[in-house]
Amino acid sequence: MSVKKRATPKKSVSFSDDETITRSRPSSDRKHSVSRDSPPIYVKKTIRTAPLHLLGLLYYYLKLSDNFDAVTLLYLLVPFQIAYLSLQFNKSTVYGHKILRLRTSLVPICLGATLALTIPCLLIIILLGAPIAMLLKETWILAAHCCLLGFPAVYSIFNCNFKVGNFKKYFIAIAVGCWISCVVIPLDWDRSWQEWPTPLVVGAYLGAFVGYSIGPYL
Amino acid sequence: MYKLVVLLVAQIFAILTFSAGFFPQKSVSKGDAWFTYRPDIHEQIEPRFGKLILVVVDALRSDYLFNAEMSQFSFVHELLNKGHAWGYTTYANPPTVTLPRLKGITTGSTPNFLDAILNVAGDDSSSSLKDQDSWLRQFHTHHKKINFFGDDTWLKLFPEEYFGEIDGTNSFFVSDFEEVDLNVTRHLPRQLASQASWDVLILHYLGLDHIGHKGGAFSSFMPPKHREMDSVIQQIYEAVDEDTLLCVMGDHGMNDMGNHGGSSAGETAAGLVLISKMLGKFEKPARQKNVELPLKVKSDDYKYLTSINQIDLVPTIATVFNFPIPKDSIGVVIPDILQLFSPQEARVKLLDNYYQLTGSTDKRNEAYENIFPVIEEMRSIQNDLAKVATDYNYYLLGVGLLVLVAVTSVVLIECVKHSTSYFELLPTFATTFLLSLSTFGSSFVEEEHQLWWWGSIALAASSYIKVPREILCHVLILSGLRLIRGWNNSGQKYVYEYTMSELLKCHHQWLWVLNTITIFSTQLSGQSEHLVTQMTALFVSSLSLVYKAAWSITNGEPVPFWLQKICFQTLGSGGDDPVEQIKQNLVPTARLLFFAVFVLILIEIARQRISSRGDSRFFARIHSLTTAIMILQTSSTNIPQYLIFGFIAAAIETLWSKYYGTSIFLLMNVGLVLQHLTFFQFGSTNSIATVDLTNAYNGVSENYNIHIVGLLMCLANFAPSIYWSLACLRALYAKKRASSKWETFGRSRLPALLFYCIFGCFLLASCVIQRYHLFIWSVFSPKLCYYVSWNLFMNAIISWSFESVLVALY
Repeated sequence: MSVKKRATPKKSVSFSDDETITRSRPSSDRKHSVSRDSPPIYVKKTIRTAPLHLLGLLYYYLKLSDNFDAVTLLYLLVPFQIAYLSLQFNKSTVYGHKILRLRTSLVPICLGATLALTIPCLLIIILLGAPIAMLLKETWILAAHCCLLGFPAVYSIFNCNFKVGNFKKYFIAIAVGCWISCVVIPLDWDRSWQEWPTPLVVGAYLGAFVGYSIGPYL
Repeated sequence: MYKLVVLLVAQIFAILTFSAGFFPQKSVSKGDAWFTYRPDIHEQIEPRFGKLILVVVDALRSDYLFNAEMSQFSFVHELLNKGHAWGYTTYANPPTVTLPRLKGITTGSTPNFLDAILNVAGDDSSSSLKDQDSWLRQFHTHHKKINFFGDDTWLKLFPEEYFGEIDGTNSFFVSDFEEVDLNVTRHLPRQLASQASWDVLILHYLGLDHIGHKGGAFSSFMPPKHREMDSVIQQIYEAVDEDTLLCVMGDHGMNDMGNHGGSSAGETAAGLVLISKMLGKFEKPARQKNVELPLKVKSDDYKYLTSINQIDLVPTIATVFNFPIPKDSIGVVIPDILQLFSPQEARVKLLDNYYQLTGSTDKRNEAYENIFPVIEEMRSIQNDLAKVATDYNYYLLGVGLLVLVAVTSVVLIECVKHSTSYFELLPTFATTFLLSLSTFGSSFVEEEHQLWWWGSIALAASSYIKVPREILCHVLILSGLRLIRGWNNSGQKYVYEYTMSELLKCHHQWLWVLNTITIFSTQLSGQSEHLVTQMTALFVSSLSLVYKAAWSITNGEPVPFWLQKICFQTLGSGGDDPVEQIKQNLVPTARLLFFAVFVLILIEIARQRISSRGDSRFFARIHSLTTAIMILQTSSTNIPQYLIFGFIAAAIETLWSKYYGTSIFLLMNVGLVLQHLTFFQFGSTNSIATVDLTNAYNGVSENYNIHIVGLLMCLANFAPSIYWSLACLRALYAKKRASSKWETFGRSRLPALLFYCIFGCFLLASCVIQRYHLFIWSVFSPKLCYYVSWNLFMNAIISWSFESVLVALY
């Protein structure tokens, strides 16, 4: 059972007081009553943010892949998430009234950060009930999936000066997806997809799909 | 407040009415059976045996008799290989506890679920087989003399006039492995020397079952017990002649934990061996040919040699002793035994069984050529008959369900009326409906602990999202809960090897260090700084630690040296054998502890009445004193959990009073979740098999009172839940409130009442809808029993009665 990743918001709380950026752009974009310290950050309400590739990947995972191969899925997820970020998500993210260009140098940094986040994420998943002494590799793969699914949000947090508030919901969506999917674990159907961590991976994908699709409206 | 009491009473009335309709007494046919097919021929058939010796070894699982790895029955193996014994694996119909199984073994009928409860409840005349036909009754009416030695359940079941000499032993002293069996065996030499004086000898040994309950199926006490039983069989075999049938059997099996009651493969697979020198003249059963006992191959479903139904023993005994098959029997005669008769006689016997089973006189099978198709047909009839559920009393079911629905709607209105906002009702409703819906799925009932865990992490996580700045508190709560979750296995599906309790069992030094810290800290922290109270707290905790350690020593569990020394010096001095001395001192020590805590509670109450009325620390002190009792009623590997409870409770209390506006509904909902979560993480499940009896005899002497044992059993099984119930009460009155104490109390009872009501509606409906479900007796009925006991014990007795007394004194 797992929810995940509120480690990210935590970590960056200290940064959110950093006013250097906001001060460096004095009042150029203060047209309406936004507090000086917080330029508006939001994701546009558009159908464009729907991460359809996640459904495709899920179809591959459940129907095509050999015995729910989560590792291959992980490799496939990386390019798709980068493409999603550059083509869809980043183009809908508004920071201080404009859409920032994708900073290609930041992408590998964020990927690295995502990778690093898998460890706290793993710990959180264990804290929320995953087995410790066995299936640790599977749990880590699940953590990697969860973190990579959060990758667009991680990038945006990096790109928007670690303002976490608006992007927290994406992590929560993934976590809730995982959490709900746990329901199938106790069922006595003895299907192979009930094995750890398959239902949670599926739950995370669905959670991420819902989160990225309707996130801007929340 | 009075309205709520009325609601509670009505709710309990509803579920008891429903239970009375759901677990009805089975209608039994009275009177004696007679041969159903050609009685004239039967009367001329000679009985094949003159004497029967039935040796029931409680919980003798099939692999204990037949598997090379487990079995130490070397003499039985020798007989099996020689052909003087025929071995079978018998399917014991659940509930696999002694009383229903004995009914099955003697009457051949399928058990009634209520019997499983009566097995625990003890002296109840309603389970008597006085009027029901059984092979004992048949022996009795044929003027045979029956001598009985062993488990006194038999004496509860059958009227005394059936028996000649009797000596009953008690099945409830689970920690006694030897004496209980020696009390049976000591009669053997005299009985075997005077064989002319009896026709049937029944021996029922309990030691093996006790070892299972204490130490599991692989206990180190098992092999010596096997050898002891084996030597008993040898002793009997060597003393009797060809005319005697010796039947050795288990009444049920056990799972690897040593428990039984459920329907898993291990619990239902009991061993059976028919032994007689005469059997050597006939062919061995097909599956026993060409194999060498003990069997080297391990069978995962415990099916060794020929598999039959346990109740098949009944027509088999009836057949070989040539008397009518008992009326309610749905057994099928063991085909191998028909060899003992001439073909014509065998045919008559088989058809008699066939007609008795079908209840018809249809002659179409009369001209059979081979017995096997007939046997096959009888087996399928037997299966159908076994499936037919007992008659439900639909009138009572309807009344119970309707009253409960009515009560539930009133409680629902009350809840909405008494809550300050819908927000505080939300978690209660979420928990309630989540659990309620789960009652329709058998696997969710079996794995209920997962749902509670699922709910509790959701509560913790959502609380964190609400108050992100209290990260430490939330991490503390979650880590504590995670540790508790990893403490024991619960449910039926997954078994993890590396649970905390297993780890602590292997590292007993750590276990006892933790236990010592837990016992002392729970006592000392709750008390005031006053020197006298500190001293009494110290006294209570030392006594409790010494008792738990002494208990472990007498049960052969490893205890660190330093603690052993303390035990020997305090309890073990004075006698020649310190362990024996400790054993004798256990009961007085436990009594002293109960007495001390009771007196301390009284003193606390008196102090509260005289001087500091309204002192909020009153509940804290009572809580820590009752925790002493709870710890006494907890098995040693679970004790450190109370230490974690302490941290979690403190963290929750802080969060609740700081951020949640002291909302009563929220607190009580958290309490409800924790009560259930910890109940399951102490190792309990929704199966009768995991009812913990080991702590039900603390401070109880040989001539025990069933009510006290019942109370102690409830305390032992609900210990962590009682802890949390009182912890919530303590938090509730920690600060002065605007409302009166009774108003607070009334409101605080609502969430749990709402939960039990709604959950009850769904569970009862689920039981009615699925009354013909395959798992109705193995999953849903036990759940209903647990639900009733949660209601009666946890809700009515602890949460309402006990706590209201405390509040009244406050």
